[in-house]
This record gives sequence, C-alpha cells and structure tokens, in this order.
Amino acid sequence: MGVAELNLIDLRALTRGDKRTWDAFVIAAAPLINAVVRRTLSAYRLSEEDVMDAAQDVFVRLCARDFRLLKTYDPARAGLPTWISVVSRSCAIDHLRRRRQATEPIDDVPEAFLGVEDRHVEKLRIPDGLLTARQVLVLKYLYDEERDVMEVARLLSVDAQTIRSTHHKALLRLRAHFREEGPGGRG
Amino acid sequence: MNTQRTPRSDKELWRSLASPPAVVPAAVSEMELAAWLEGRLTEEAAGPVEAAVAADPALRRAALDLADILGKPLPAAPERMVVRARALVGFEADRKIASGRLFSRWLFGRSRHALQQGVMAVVAVVIATGGFMVGGGLSESLARQREGYSATETAGTTSTASNEFSEFFAGDGI
Repeated sequence: MGVAELNLIDLRALTRGDKRTWDAFVIAAAPLINAVVRRTLSAYRLSEEDVMDAAQDVFVRLCARDFRLLKTYDPARAGLPTWISVVSRSCAIDHLRRRRQATEPIDDVPEAFLGVEDRHVEKLRIPDGLLTARQVLVLKYLYDEERDVMEVARLLSVDAQTIRSTHHKALLRLRAHFREEGPGGRG
Repeated sequence: MNTQRTPRSDKELWRSLASPPAVVPAAVSEMELAAWLEGRLTEEAAGPVEAAVAADPALRRAALDLADILGKPLPAAPERMVVRARALVGFEADRKIASGRLFSRWLFGRSRHALQQGVMAVVAVVIATGGFMVGGGLSESLARQREGYSATETAGTTSTASNEFSEFFAGDGI
C-alpha cells in the first residue's frame, strides 16, 4: 500500500475504530507521516527517537478521543494524503516546541530561524489592496525565499508562465505606485 | 552631472518595500491549508490562505516542503514506527470492550426484572444451602452428645446439670 491508497481507506470503519482498517491506514499513511516529520525536523539536530516520537504523536492525535480529529476530515475539501501531511507537520512542530521548552544550545538552532529583519532601514509601505494576496505570495517566494519559478508554479498548481505573468503585473503596479522606472527604462 | 537615478532591479525594489499586510492574517485551519495545497479553493477563498502563507516564513517553507513530498514517491517508513502505530488501536481489547458493553446492556437494559429475579433466586439458594449445612452439623453434634450421655449413664456417674439438659432435648423429641 502507498500514499495513493490512503484515499481508498474506509473512513467510517476507521473512525469506528475497526482494527483492520486502522492497520491498513497505518501502513498506507506511515511513509507520508515519516517523510513529513523527518523533513520538518531536519533543520534541527534531533535524534531518530525524536522522529519516531513525533510520528507516533501524529497517530495518537488522529485516534485520540474516539478519533475526534479524523472525524473532522472532509473528503470533499481535500485529499486524505494532503490533509494528513498538514496534520503531520503541525504535530512535528508541536513536538519540536515541547522538546525545546527547556534550553537549547544556540548552535542547534538553524540560522534561518535566528534571522532578524533590520528594523533600522526605513521602508516604504505597500498600501493595502495594491497587490493581491497571490501577487505578494509570488514575490515573497521569488525574492524573499529565492525560489525557482517552477517550484512556485508547482506549489500553486499553475504553469510557470502564469507565475511570470503574476510577477510582472505585480511589479508594474509597484513601479506605477512608487513612480519607479523598470530596469530597462520607460517604455 | 547625471542626476537621473539608476533604475532598481525588481528584486531591489521589492526589498526596499515593507511587506504587507500591516495586520496579522487570520489563522488558517489544517483543512483549509490542505484544500489550498490541492488548488481546490476559489480565488476568493484562497485569498486569506495565501495572505497567511505569505506572512509566515515558516508556513511558506512548509507549503513548499509538503508540495514536494506529496509529489514524489516516498521511502518506506521504519517497521518500528508502523508497529507502534498499529498498537494504538487494539483488536482483542476492542472485542472485549464490545462484548462487555453488550453484556452490560443486556444486564441493565431491557432485562432489568429478569436480573432482579435471578439475583433473588441465587440468594435464596445460597441461604437454603447454608441453612441445610448448619442444620446437618447441629444434628450430628447432638447425636454425638446423646451417645456420650448414654455412656455416662451406663457408667453410673451422674450430673444434675447434664441430666436436665438431656431431658430437655429428650422431651422435645430430638
């Protein structure tokens, strides 16, 4: 069984606590949960035991209180693998927070998480409504995260040309508002 | 002297601006985020999710990570992880709990009168059995006492107290 088989799981039997369905669910979901937990915790130097515990937290959360969380899943809104991946990431983050509650050597914290924006630089504020949420998201991915156009296109389920177009329109608006010329001059 | 500004690149322009929005976007539920990752939301519904993702660097990275993981074949999970997870829902325990529930439902539900009658019958049998055993033990001890009395009489040794006791029982026909 693989991740695709997750969509074949009988959710009613699963949330009833049927043992066979639960076992099938575990076999189908474990590779995904394992991958998400590992990826989420990869930036930290955590042990294999932490990965195991965080993954177990995901399964516990899913079946706790008579499968309360699983009962909130709505197949009409998203596929089970996608929802499980989001839940797994949340659990891994929670596990990380609990793990770091005491003290943690600063060397163990990834540099990206220690980065602080330089507040001394005066910045012009982009007025609300000038850019759409998607335009802001695309610009953040391209410039703040320095991601590839293809990567962003895959995430947003659109083609690369759509991302380039979104980016272009956003920059035109920004330049028009702040009366900036493009790198190629006017025209 | 050239007073014209050198046009900034797109990246320079973006980085010179403060990122919107000024207000913190509303929290996004796991279900909403999953739906957005699958591109199932309308433009209107996707707006708040995209604003939340744009505003949170951790969420931006997470979205890319999850999209990447979901888009490719995954290695098998460690066997220990599977075993531990499977143990969370137990077959035997469930069956016992289920059968226990059925029994208690039968016991305290529709058949409440039958239960009461049954309990009364059991109590009656226990009392009767106990009484019978006590009675049997008493008659045995009396028989032994009577035998002892006869032997004493034959031997010619008398005791007023014991005679009165025997006569009392003899008078009652015991």
